[in-house]
Amino acid sequence: MIELKNIEKYYANKGVKSYILRHVTTTIKQGEFVSIMGPSGAGKSTLLNILGMLEEPTYGTYEFMGENVTSLNERKRIELYRNHIGFVFQAYHLIDEMTVYENIEAPLLYKKVGSAERASRIANLLDRFNIVAKKDLFPNQLSGGQQQLVGIARALAAQPSIILADEPTGNLQSAQAEEIMQLFQKLNKEDGITIIQVTHSEKNAEYGNRILHIADGVVKGDVQV
Amino acid sequence: MFKLNLKIAWRNLWKNKGYTLINILGLSIGMASCILIFLFIRYQLSFDEGIKNEDRIYRFVTDWKYDAFDDYSNAVAIPAVKTAKNEIVGIEKAAAIFRNWNIVRVKDATGKDVIKKDETIYYVEPDFFEIFGMQWLYAKPTTALNEPNTVALSETAAKHYFGNAQNAIGKNVTMGNKTLLKVSGVFKDMPKNSSFPLNIMVSYQTYPNKNDECWDCVSSGNEFYILLKDGLKAKDIETSLAQFNKKNYADRKVAGNQNNKLEALRDIHFSEHYDNFSNLTISKNQIYGLGIIALFLIITACINFVNLSTAQAINRAKEVGVRKVMGSLRKQLIVQFLTETFLVTLAAMLIACVLAELAIPQMENLFKGNIAVGLFQHPIIFLFMLCLVLFVGLLAGFYPAIIMSGFTPALAIKSKIMLNNGGLSLRKVLVVVQFSIAIILIISTIVVMRQMEYVQQKQLGFNANEVIMVGVPNDSLNRLKHENFKERLLKIPGVKKVSYCQDAPLSPNINSSDFTFNGIKNKDFEVRRMKADEDYFSLFDLKLIAGKLFAKSDTANGYVVNETFLKKVHITNPQEAIGKTINSTGQNIPIIGVIKDFNDLSLKDNISGLTISAGKNSYWRAAIKLDAKQIFEANKQVEKLWNSLFPEQIYYSNFVNESINSQYETEKIMGILFKVFAGVIVFISFIGLFGLMSFVATQRTKEVAIRKVLGASTLELVKMLNGSFLIMVFIANLVAWPLAYLFVSKWLSGFAYRIEISIWPFAMAMIISMVITLITVSIRSYKAAVANTIDALKYE
Repeated sequence: MIELKNIEKYYANKGVKSYILRHVTTTIKQGEFVSIMGPSGAGKSTLLNILGMLEEPTYGTYEFMGENVTSLNERKRIELYRNHIGFVFQAYHLIDEMTVYENIEAPLLYKKVGSAERASRIANLLDRFNIVAKKDLFPNQLSGGQQQLVGIARALAAQPSIILADEPTGNLQSAQAEEIMQLFQKLNKEDGITIIQVTHSEKNAEYGNRILHIADGVVKGDVQV
Repeated sequence: MFKLNLKIAWRNLWKNKGYTLINILGLSIGMASCILIFLFIRYQLSFDEGIKNEDRIYRFVTDWKYDAFDDYSNAVAIPAVKTAKNEIVGIEKAAAIFRNWNIVRVKDATGKDVIKKDETIYYVEPDFFEIFGMQWLYAKPTTALNEPNTVALSETAAKHYFGNAQNAIGKNVTMGNKTLLKVSGVFKDMPKNSSFPLNIMVSYQTYPNKNDECWDCVSSGNEFYILLKDGLKAKDIETSLAQFNKKNYADRKVAGNQNNKLEALRDIHFSEHYDNFSNLTISKNQIYGLGIIALFLIITACINFVNLSTAQAINRAKEVGVRKVMGSLRKQLIVQFLTETFLVTLAAMLIACVLAELAIPQMENLFKGNIAVGLFQHPIIFLFMLCLVLFVGLLAGFYPAIIMSGFTPALAIKSKIMLNNGGLSLRKVLVVVQFSIAIILIISTIVVMRQMEYVQQKQLGFNANEVIMVGVPNDSLNRLKHENFKERLLKIPGVKKVSYCQDAPLSPNINSSDFTFNGIKNKDFEVRRMKADEDYFSLFDLKLIAGKLFAKSDTANGYVVNETFLKKVHITNPQEAIGKTINSTGQNIPIIGVIKDFNDLSLKDNISGLTISAGKNSYWRAAIKLDAKQIFEANKQVEKLWNSLFPEQIYYSNFVNESINSQYETEKIMGILFKVFAGVIVFISFIGLFGLMSFVATQRTKEVAIRKVLGASTLELVKMLNGSFLIMVFIANLVAWPLAYLFVSKWLSGFAYRIEISIWPFAMAMIISMVITLITVSIRSYKAAVANTIDALKYE
């Protein structure tokens, strides 16, 4: 599903190149649950951003579903966002001015899903995540764990084939974190959604089936769990 | 999607209530001013509109080209009326309309006056009604004024005289003392936005001087209109008109290269050289000036919007990032932000309409009821409002929308967006522009106010305190009573002096003429010929510097001239002038005295060369000097005496000082407008500044807190926060000064007597703007500086 070939990322500053990523080459198949681990500043987030097409690599090629997406125009990229990729953020990043319901609805609106279909999908998600009662609340009225649930529900609304999660439990207490990770596992196993997460925690990484260890921009280990 | 956008926009605006309020307040005030200006301009442009053949109707005007100056008149010589119809090819219809003033009475069966009123009447040829397509309520259009001694009344006049319009037909009114006129028609009232305030129209055949043959006598009330044949324009009859001019003026050797020109009907209201019956002309420049002020206002308000929106953009960055990764196109984000802007603009427009509606009566008041405007007057006003919303929405919304929608999602999500870090940011430039506009207006307002003060306080060279001017009838019969009237006036306690004259010393109503000086024809200037009796000089305190004043006389037998006259004929020693002769009336009359200069025209003009002589036939006024302590009582006595002596006439009086001041009406209105608009722009600018300051303070909360922890005092923090704003306003001052200087010196050059432009208005504008800035931003920066440190540092 994802093929990275020799990805490099560096910033040139006064003639000195400071590398973030070096020679990253890897393949991620449909249905995998990959955790990217490594110390702070190792380049985990940058790698995830490149995977999510939020940043472009300085060098190398990136194929997504058999298509070269190394540098893509806005329209095509957004087409991918609408249909294939869901994002989950450490700080949830719900839109403060929207209710839970509207937050989940937003990607569907961009995808131009009909209103009946929209309503049923959202009802489904609310139900599945046990947040039906919260649908008319605003993000700041929810706990962190609940916000992250909404964040995941939002990511799932457009029925993506892959979810990119940047430290999804970083701001959560351990009990809530566990709940989220179980959810991810379930999504991966039952719905076959590919998940790539960046995490610090060994424990969270265990939920996946493959771990990429990164240090100083280089992939140091690729372990199947 | 649209509905959701709207909902989100609403919540966003509600969340930032403070900024929203500032935005809406600023915009609505700016828009209200714009609407008012638009209403005024539209009203002015609507003058004489809607007449059926308006593009074929022209007025004959008369121009003179002397060696030293040009002269212009809205009128024609009387014989031109007849001749033009015969000689000029291409005229379909032509009609003269001559203005006159007279007393109009309605008598009851016994011959007693029921109504007696001083009225403006117009002698018109019947074709006038057809050229202008006037609507008749009662009467046959074609025959209404065909006969002598007939009159057509407007609906209002008919109602006033006879109770209702239909009753009036066939009734009689008396014009003057004995001319009986039969009412043969009633026409619909002229609208207010017309150059023809017609109420009483008398058939042309009644006009006593209609057979006058004087080609170089042009009296300002005698207008002449033509309707060209279908399809013709003014230039099509140019050759014919040139022939007419040659034959009738050049060949007749009429002085001053007199000739006639055509002026299109719709140009009459904007004519700078030619007057009209309504006395309501406005120059196109004034209209453009107002338009520019309106643009300034709207730009100032938009700048607020742009500044506050871009300042707030950082807060919206996260949202932009999230939306982008959810699959929103940049276009969709722009639409979303524009929706927000339009919501604000629309709300502002509604408030602006209310404000404008409230301000309309004040505006009509300012123009003394001479204008009639309303929000629902014309569909184009709604179109304008719509355009204004679109214009402001785009102007104010587009830039912020472009900026915000352009954030890179990866950075935006991590709140790493930095706006304008250092350098010359657009926001700073806009603040400078905004304040430059405000400062230009402050300076202009100060200068206009000072000039008006100067005009009011300037010593005019004569003393008109407690002097009233009373109109006196001057036909041969009533003239016999003048002597008696004067004697009896002087017996009234409180009346100190009385003098018969043409008008007060400062008056535009004195005619001028070319002349020969000591037998040599003068080509440099025209002399103004003032007529007054021997008491005029002492009454108005005019100082004699050489020779003597004339003694009591009915006609001119010696001139008193002013210093300017001597200067203009190059005589330096006043004594030399005595005995030299002036001929401006066909008679050589010697100079017998020289008086000190006084301002004989408004301060917009220089003192002119002047002769004062006796001339009984021109005594239309009596100047009466009253005792300051008994003004009220004496005034009443004067009126009583007047009414008993001239029972047929209508009493009219006014204080000289008041009528002098009324000459600066336009400038006064301009002063008020400047004050209002400067106030509005300054207000808008400063609430914008306050908003910006609040934002900066919020942005720098953490910095402030850290500095506090490091030991900065409150004062130091306030200074730090204020600094950049004070610098911006200072730069705005520097930008504004030269522009303001250009503007005010241009305006002042319209006055012959004016204040020197000093540094003070500029310095004052700077002090005012800096002090208000300091206060505005300090309110907010102080709050930021004393905020609780822990709150700011707690997070992260």
